[in-house]
Amino acid sequence: MEPITLVIILVCIIIGGMLGSLGVHLLPVGGAPAAMATATGIATGCVMLMTGSAVTGLFTASSVATFWESNPSVLLVSLSGGVGAMLMMGFTMLIANLIYIFGAGVVPVSGRAAVDPITKESQTEYKTPRTDGHGVPNVCFYSGIVGGFVGGFGGALIYVVLVSSGYAGFSVETAVVVALGIFIANAIMAAYNIGGTIEGFHDPKFKERIVTGLTCAFVISLMCGIMVLIAIETGTLGAGGVL
Amino acid sequence: MTVTPAVEEEEKKGEKPKEKFKFSFDYFNESRLGIFALVVGAIIAVAAFFPSLPAFVKGIGVMAVILWGADSVRKTARYGLGTGVPSIGVLAVGFGLVGATTGMAIGSEIYHYFGSIGILGALAGVAFMAVIGYVSGVLANSERFIGMKIPGLERGMAELAMAGTLAIILECSIVAGSWYIGDILSPIKGYNIAPVAFIAVMFILAGFGMLQPYNSCLGADERRGRTLLMAIEIGGINCIILGAVATLSLGAVQGVPLLVMGAIVWVVFYRAYMKACMDESYATPGTGLIKTLGG
Repeated sequence: MEPITLVIILVCIIIGGMLGSLGVHLLPVGGAPAAMATATGIATGCVMLMTGSAVTGLFTASSVATFWESNPSVLLVSLSGGVGAMLMMGFTMLIANLIYIFGAGVVPVSGRAAVDPITKESQTEYKTPRTDGHGVPNVCFYSGIVGGFVGGFGGALIYVVLVSSGYAGFSVETAVVVALGIFIANAIMAAYNIGGTIEGFHDPKFKERIVTGLTCAFVISLMCGIMVLIAIETGTLGAGGVL
Repeated sequence: MTVTPAVEEEEKKGEKPKEKFKFSFDYFNESRLGIFALVVGAIIAVAAFFPSLPAFVKGIGVMAVILWGADSVRKTARYGLGTGVPSIGVLAVGFGLVGATTGMAIGSEIYHYFGSIGILGALAGVAFMAVIGYVSGVLANSERFIGMKIPGLERGMAELAMAGTLAIILECSIVAGSWYIGDILSPIKGYNIAPVAFIAVMFILAGFGMLQPYNSCLGADERRGRTLLMAIEIGGINCIILGAVATLSLGAVQGVPLLVMGAIVWVVFYRAYMKACMDESYATPGTGLIKTLGG
């Protein structure tokens, strides 16, 4: 394969991995405290949220990619993956909020910001003392939607570059498996970087740790990308390249 | 006068699990178990290239590798990861997906040109993954990056990446008969699905075997022997499910022995695990939902 194609594939894998890491940092992750409605966010870990939305993104991306015979449009397929992941995150946050509001009886309120940076609503009065916020307030919802979109876009970008016969030309299943592997490795390193809970882009933790997270994502995506390039160079993984 | 009873009590506490329970994994400490599982897993993974190798031998390899992975998860996750135990088990198989795909591709390509010596190429994927796992462990542990400060995280992540890769290669070869990439990518006879698609199932099967034992057993009185019993038990469940799939894809000759072996392992180790739990706990009220042994 031509060196320039290999470089494009490597760059797309690195961009996809870094976008996945950025997406994880944007999600409203509540962890175990959120299960008792004593922290803002959805009551599960980063890995579960991001894997769920990324897998949905890969579903939509692979469905959209089937509209083309061989050379799917990279931008459109990646965007469709982003939209799929965004919808998944949106539904998750909506249902979580329904449970928090009508089940647990709490007001969605951010614990880390005194005033909602987008809607300018005041938050502090509604926060129960000694808790770290509840539910998924507006700013977290926006942040989560953007996080889902960015993460899904990254995952789908890796997928489409691997599946397109103009680039790597893997079979559909192999491309999904490899994209999922790279994405999960990045998402988990981002989860370790966050270390528990995060609310979104307005959280002070985000500014503190995003550089570290993206650096780690760069290194890991680079190494995984080199492995994938070795696999591409063997020429055995393509849909038409089976020996 | 006052010292003697305390010492006696301590000794009693130390002996208690040993005398009541024989599966204590005393000989297989963390290093020995790692070397044993790596050697057994690597030999079986290389030999799994040949379709004539019975599936239940590969099943034994899968169980050894999953046992090793569960031990590594226990080693690293007991200091507290901050995101829950499942994350590190999923990380292991996530690395394993990339490593196994590359390893199988490299092995098949070298085999294509240089004959049967090429089947050692699959181990290249394992070796690459060990390096990537070690580097990600350094990134996670180093003060300059994430700074998790977990002792032995570098080694643990390298081990987990290797275990994940070996598990995926072995499970692929069980479904397809061989990890030769042509067999992995071409559809199963009579079905419109390629064995590589089953990796989605294998992903969570192998990950479950690695993460679930420590996730369910963690706590103040967690004991290594008891936790690892559950790892073998889930290895048995893996073999049952893969045996059913192999019966469809390869036929009863390959699938049924694996299924039977998995069922036997599952029953034996489920009993052993439940017995260990009953013996080591203070009291056990049964809910009646699951038929437990005398509980």
